[in-house]
Amino acid sequence: MMLLNKLHRVTTGILVMALALLFGWVDSVSAQAERVWIPDGSYHSLFPETEGEPLQVHGFYLDETPVTNSQFLEFVQNHPEWQKERVPRLFAGNEYLRHWESGLEPGNETLSEENRPVTRVSWFAASSYCEASGGRLPTMAEWEYAAISLDLESVQEWETLGYELIGWYSSVDAGDLREVGSDDRISRFGVRDLHGLVMEWVEDFRPPIADDISFDCGTAGRLQSDETSFSYARVIRTLTRMSYTPQTSIGILGFRCAYDGDRAKAGDQLKDLSER
Amino acid sequence: MKNMKTLLTLIVMWWISGAVYAQHGDHHHHDHTAMQASEQIPEQSLYHLRGEWTSHRGEQFLLSEFSGSPLVIVMFYGNCTDVCPILIQDAWRLYSSVGENMREEVNVLAVTFDTENDTPESLMEYARYEQLNIDGWHFVTASPATVRQLATALGVEYRKRSDGMYDHSNLVTVVGPDGVVGARVEGLGRPMEVAARVLEEFITEKQLP
Repeated sequence: MMLLNKLHRVTTGILVMALALLFGWVDSVSAQAERVWIPDGSYHSLFPETEGEPLQVHGFYLDETPVTNSQFLEFVQNHPEWQKERVPRLFAGNEYLRHWESGLEPGNETLSEENRPVTRVSWFAASSYCEASGGRLPTMAEWEYAAISLDLESVQEWETLGYELIGWYSSVDAGDLREVGSDDRISRFGVRDLHGLVMEWVEDFRPPIADDISFDCGTAGRLQSDETSFSYARVIRTLTRMSYTPQTSIGILGFRCAYDGDRAKAGDQLKDLSER
Repeated sequence: MKNMKTLLTLIVMWWISGAVYAQHGDHHHHDHTAMQASEQIPEQSLYHLRGEWTSHRGEQFLLSEFSGSPLVIVMFYGNCTDVCPILIQDAWRLYSSVGENMREEVNVLAVTFDTENDTPESLMEYARYEQLNIDGWHFVTASPATVRQLATALGVEYRKRSDGMYDHSNLVTVVGPDGVVGARVEGLGRPMEVAARVLEEFITEKQLP
């Protein structure tokens, strides 16, 4: 009985591998986004919990660009439970992948722009995607740290970016998303599309402090760390994210994945733009 | 090269899944019913969550293996010595407020946030210290993603601080036999009467022929 069981396991194992090769599941790994190393560092959080102390962030890998429609298609092919016809309401609202024609067809309009970021994906779908690719969603601290690490030349440039973002956050057009990677404002560590393409899920989009915060102008003012427009844009971004539910699936909301890692051990197989 | 690596991963995963299944088969006779029922479970059921858990007794299981019985879930962590014992005590107050003959139908899941420090061994120590290494009580851990997904489904917020402690919301949840949340008690040391009534209803429902 034991032997039979083992034999069965081995043969099924071979079969699964053969099928994996046949259907190209194995290749899906190579289609993943490039990862960029984000080194140890710290930044000032917007929340009073840190009381002026900078928040420490440990080094991690982050996708260079947000996950695209074609990458997400590969995921739902391999994980049919995430097709829009099958996903339970616990995991996603009924807007989930609404722009796709069906569970496995992103639709002509979307397909012609397969490098557009995938949107209308819930937190659960994003989290499961990242888990399936050996990663996780970045934490809010990690995402913010990567995003605000920009090398801008002057105060004026920060102000311009701030006003640009405030405008974008208040009038984002879900029908006209650019392709990923089209943002020429690359962060200090080589991450793209952090500002002005899509809003992005983070692991703890509702931190414990969320319950004590109301989403009004007074709160925005209180959270603002300084008087700059860039700081105000950060506050708007944070409050917007906190207003989502984990089932929220809307046209301006996508994601990218983070990965634990030790840069010294990871070697050179991962692209590292920070040394450029 | 990348393909070879993936192949290897596949093989390893296959063996692991086989081993886990074999380990399970002996103890959990309701596995198959749980699996078959998974297609019909309600849209909002927590039993859609797929992550694998390990208890303080070293048992591995899926959340859906509890389907068919009412469940009480509380989230905590071992190094939290001020509020978490109160939270665990709250879960005990709820559990012990139903009749003793009813309690055996209930499972209590105490889920750690601290997947780094709370190993099955240290969870066993914790359970013993709290005198709760008893039938039906499971102090459990899982991968960080699995813990986060359950927390998010329950509406429990938590965040690791720089000092290694966690900020977290305090919540005791009563879950029905179908995995749908029946009652939530937020805060510390709150009255448990309403939640206890919901729990009793679930048990009676289950005990009906």
